[in-house]
Amino acid sequence: MLEAELSGAQVRRFTRRATAARADTTLAERLGDLWANLVTIAIGVGVLAGALSSVRESMALAGAPATVPVLPAGVTVAIAAVLAIAGLVVCLDRLGPVSSTPAAAAWWLPLPAGRGGLLRGELARITSAVVGTAVVLSLPLALALTDAPSVLGVAVVLAGTAGSAAALVGAAAVNQTRGRSGRLAPLAGAVAVGVAVVAVAACTALAVTGGADVPALPSVPAGWALAALGAAVPLVVVAVAGLDRLGAAQLRAAGATAQYAAASAVSLDTRELGRALTARRPRAPRRARRFGRVSGAWQAVVAGDRAALSRSPWHVGQALVAVAVPVLVARTDGLGALPLAVWGACLVGWSLAAVAAGHPARQAQALPALDRLLPLSTPGVTVARAVVPLVLVTTVTALTGLLVGLAGDTPLLWTGLCAATAPAWAAASLRGAFRPEMDWAGPVVSTPMGVLPVGAGAGFVQGVDVGVLGSLPVAAALVTGGPTPVLLAVQLLWSVLLGAGALALVVRRRGGRS
Amino acid sequence: MTNTTDRTPLLRAEGLEVGYAGEPVCAPVDLVVEPGRALGVVGANGAGKSTLLQTLVGLLEPLGGTVEFDGREVDERQADFRRDVACVLDDEAFFPSLTGREHLLLTARGHGVTDPESVVAAEVAEFGLAERADALPSQLSSGQRRRLALAAVFVRPARLVVLDEPERRLDAGMRARLAQRLARHRDDGVAIVFACHDADFLRAVADDVLLVDEEETRRLAPEVAADVLPTL
Repeated sequence: MLEAELSGAQVRRFTRRATAARADTTLAERLGDLWANLVTIAIGVGVLAGALSSVRESMALAGAPATVPVLPAGVTVAIAAVLAIAGLVVCLDRLGPVSSTPAAAAWWLPLPAGRGGLLRGELARITSAVVGTAVVLSLPLALALTDAPSVLGVAVVLAGTAGSAAALVGAAAVNQTRGRSGRLAPLAGAVAVGVAVVAVAACTALAVTGGADVPALPSVPAGWALAALGAAVPLVVVAVAGLDRLGAAQLRAAGATAQYAAASAVSLDTRELGRALTARRPRAPRRARRFGRVSGAWQAVVAGDRAALSRSPWHVGQALVAVAVPVLVARTDGLGALPLAVWGACLVGWSLAAVAAGHPARQAQALPALDRLLPLSTPGVTVARAVVPLVLVTTVTALTGLLVGLAGDTPLLWTGLCAATAPAWAAASLRGAFRPEMDWAGPVVSTPMGVLPVGAGAGFVQGVDVGVLGSLPVAAALVTGGPTPVLLAVQLLWSVLLGAGALALVVRRRGGRS
Repeated sequence: MTNTTDRTPLLRAEGLEVGYAGEPVCAPVDLVVEPGRALGVVGANGAGKSTLLQTLVGLLEPLGGTVEFDGREVDERQADFRRDVACVLDDEAFFPSLTGREHLLLTARGHGVTDPESVVAAEVAEFGLAERADALPSQLSSGQRRRLALAAVFVRPARLVVLDEPERRLDAGMRARLAQRLARHRDDGVAIVFACHDADFLRAVADDVLLVDEEETRRLAPEVAADVLPTL
């Protein structure tokens, strides 16, 4: 004889109470942690808002720019918002967004309790996390956008952001419950790349032809917040109603990905984070390559890297966005006149290019046997793996320089100066791909994200550090009003020396003599 | 060996193709399991036994063919299916802050079992976990965690039990007791499907055996299959 089965909510409550019964923290300790986190967030928001206000004031006082800005700041902010939303959609689609931990998959999902009741808490948790993060990130923007921010204005921005974030989570969850998981990410990526490419093409054409400036976007209407909140509510309601349709295998797979990604994020291991977010079965290529022109081991490595990169549309798209970021900042009215802002945008864009270019090397790092298949020494195979990154980052940096320099006096010098950073960025991509795993057996330090090995922060920037150092002459050119032949020569020499040194370090770390 | 009177097939697969990303891992499978019968699944490592079991319980989509439970297409999203089918596959995981006993109570209460405390206490004793039932999973040995996962099958009602290598990580005594327990369960009318590499376990539990292979799937008598096992 049976009694009433537990409902999903009762199952969650049972688990929560059993867990709470042996929690080794007191209520006071938990409140203390909450207070400390709130203070940390408030300080972070204050610092970021101050920095943004400072940038805005600098834009107003900036002198003659080294580039030709044509875009109003509002348009650039709108493009950045599209890119950020696309990034969020990609993450939500890849992570579920609704998922089950392995334990929940093993002990909750086989119960007869409705999936809706079991998973409602998970959907609420992911919605709160995304909304909370979006609100915290938008708060400094809301505070810094105007000279005298009003309470109402800030509230509208925050409510609109919260509503938009909740609507995105709801839409992704609805998509998941209808069995279309994994289809939003390519769409969002394509939209992001399309917007970036069109924006760059348009602003470059305007700068070159001297056509009319792009009109500034109207300020954010208050109705946006209402519309966003209005869209979020039905989407979340429909998503909750569809939770019963989610299968255990799908939830378990999404949970494994989410755990992998979360562990990588709190360990500051961006290489593993990237793997977690792209860990899907790759599609079989439409056309098999015959590598007919390959006649030696060195060429085989290069041809293999080229094939790996060309079969990864994500990384090709990333390279296009890498060109767009510095060009858009350089063409933005006010921002383009700030040398540090343009240089910072170059660093962001070229870092993206270096990460994309390192895709084949990261695959080789994950499968060391690949490099042992061919009769090449460690230095030989490492140098061979630098060829494709060098070609890609040279293309990206040269295109950046050309598009930034067009409509100015020295487009070819800009092109050459930016392209001359390529050896450093190519070495950066290999340094990042082959950086050592975190040493969890060694000493550890306590951080707000938990315990991390000593040197985790240094590992986080390995790769990018070489690129940043290698791009210092570009900063000098921006500060002094433009590139010169001397700066170009210095840039090339500095970049080649730095790149060679970094490559030698990678070879030594991989166990070969440099 | 069996005492069931109901001969209506509980689980039926016809031309069932199983695999990943459109690639079958073994030859198509036809099987019928009636209440009170136990089907052993044998094959070499990588032959597709686990993939087949996961497809039978709806955790993987079939690449082709059909699989039905109680006359209806298998859909693990249906509460009725989960009510009737208990399985322990290769997905052993535990809530880190729930004790072994609490895991079993959650399962028993989740299925509406009357007097769950007594049922759980009996299974805890049966599986030799009486001393360790109130320990957290991290404090249990690998074999004790395996016993805990298997005990969950018996603290709830089920018409079909699906187990992937239940003998794995168990000592010889526990293997023998589990085999006897499953045989009793089968004789009480429960249908059982299990993958296995242990000849004695196979002889004790199975009425019928399915040999899974890339080229073909064959039905064997348990005695024959037990002799074949060492050659796989």
